[in-house]
Amino acid sequence: MKVLIVEDEKMLAAEIENFLRRAHYLCDISHTANEGLDKITINMYDFVLLDLGLPDFDGLQLLKDARKHNPDAAYIILTARGDTDDRIRGLDLGADDYLAKPFSLLELQSRMQAINRRKFGLKDQVLSIGDFIVDLKLRVVKLGINEIELSKKEFDLLSYLLLHRNRPLTRMQLSEHIWGNYVDDDYDSNFIDVHIKNIRKKLSAFGTVEWLETIRGVGYKIRKQD
Amino acid sequence: MLKEEYIALEPVDSTVLIDTITTSRRVIERDTLDYRVLMYTHIIEKQNYLIEIGRTTETITQFIKPLQKVALNVLVLLIGITLVLDLFFTRFLLRPLGKIIKSKLQNRKFPFNEQIDAVKTTTEDFRLLDKSFIALMEQINEAFEKEREFTSNASHELMTPISILQSKMENMMMAEDVGENQQERILELMRTLSRLKKIVNALLLISRIENEQFGKTNNVSPSNLIAEVIEELKERMEEKGLRCTVNLHPHHQLEGVNNDLLFQLFYNLVNNSIRYNKPGGSITIVDRIAADGRYEIIIRDTGSGIPPAELPNIFNRFKKAGRTEGEGVGLGLAIVKSILDFHGMTIQVSSRLSEGTNIVIGV
Repeated sequence: MKVLIVEDEKMLAAEIENFLRRAHYLCDISHTANEGLDKITINMYDFVLLDLGLPDFDGLQLLKDARKHNPDAAYIILTARGDTDDRIRGLDLGADDYLAKPFSLLELQSRMQAINRRKFGLKDQVLSIGDFIVDLKLRVVKLGINEIELSKKEFDLLSYLLLHRNRPLTRMQLSEHIWGNYVDDDYDSNFIDVHIKNIRKKLSAFGTVEWLETIRGVGYKIRKQD
Repeated sequence: MLKEEYIALEPVDSTVLIDTITTSRRVIERDTLDYRVLMYTHIIEKQNYLIEIGRTTETITQFIKPLQKVALNVLVLLIGITLVLDLFFTRFLLRPLGKIIKSKLQNRKFPFNEQIDAVKTTTEDFRLLDKSFIALMEQINEAFEKEREFTSNASHELMTPISILQSKMENMMMAEDVGENQQERILELMRTLSRLKKIVNALLLISRIENEQFGKTNNVSPSNLIAEVIEELKERMEEKGLRCTVNLHPHHQLEGVNNDLLFQLFYNLVNNSIRYNKPGGSITIVDRIAADGRYEIIIRDTGSGIPPAELPNIFNRFKKAGRTEGEGVGLGLAIVKSILDFHGMTIQVSSRLSEGTNIVIGV
């Protein structure tokens, strides 16, 4: 998958590239809107990550122009301006998603995965872990014919860990994903433990859950299985 | 009628000079009648003469009535003319003032987004007044825009470095050559950064609310809103074994409010009620119409309570009520206060240590 990162902050662009390359995406970087537009007119991209505060012209204008040349790409707006109007205008102009800075790279990746799932249909929607089957579209966890009932937050947590399999996720990263902007403090992060405990309890009634590991002092990880 | 008037001139001896008007009775040619008499003593060649000119009182009263009538009519006419003139004044001459008041003072809500037009008038004073109003409003708008721009820029300038740090740490965390020891250190960094991020986010949110950068266009049913908040926090209540009773009028609507901000408001309050509650305690949320007709929502908990000395400070930024558990950034209630002020709502907090807290929100 090809990704264009349009971000004037060089260090941030480099970190995003670093992260996405590890997740096997091919990345191009432009630091200005003009450079970005040039690349979009020449190359085809699957994703365009677009900062709104660019030095030469407004990111929303770039979004408008870029969509003419590359209508199939998925556009994700990254902005630190935090103006609610920007969000609405961006989505109106055809952006697929919107992430407010500072965002977690994991969150970015899971949004990209979600867009992929929407675009390419069922292919990627059913994941298996241990003896369990997780259907992201129907939002159910199954073992054989048994359906295991998880709460909304528990399901979100499990699927987030599953999508970032084999990566240690911190309590903060998890709580940011679950509670978003409403997160107030460490109290919320500690609550992740309660949810994980519940998930383990519910799933272990049907099968083994030793793939869901606690990483002492850090957080949780779903171990990749061979 | 005869003998209505008479004139008499006769010599008198009296040395008293008379010059007066009186009502008295006179006998004229055998008829006795009441006269209004003007008497005057005139001296000609050392001889006093009394001149009397009289008119019967009867005829005088006959004239008074029509005279009074005429006077009354004239008065009424004058009042009428004055009223018409007054109306003309207020309607026509003072019309620009009315327009100024209407277009500048009433029907105007901050921020003044629409075009501000000058009122047409030839009166110098009104023109000056109108101009001053427009200048003031433009000044306020400009200050508001600057503040908005500042918030937006500050937000950008603060969030970008935090963003870079966060991405760097996340990448470091995932690098294969990181040992467990280092991982824990990176985690400490991430935790500190996350705290910084939350503080900046909360401060920016407060300043956006104070700058009125949110719309007030939603109609919200408190009963639905609270249900959403409870749904979001359900698991925390269950974990602590809290009993939550909600009793709200199902059809009450809050008009012209911001749904997201109100959600945040009640989320923060209920979250606090959960957080500082004792295991197995309870939370009660009810509403009522107060004696003065205001709609009120009451949130009661059986938590640890707030010490009386700290009650006045709970809404101040960065003031924590001596509660160290959980390490909040101390901005939750400051956000609550700014959302309430934004909507023109009030809050009253009463609390008893280790018994619980009672919060009344007046809409």
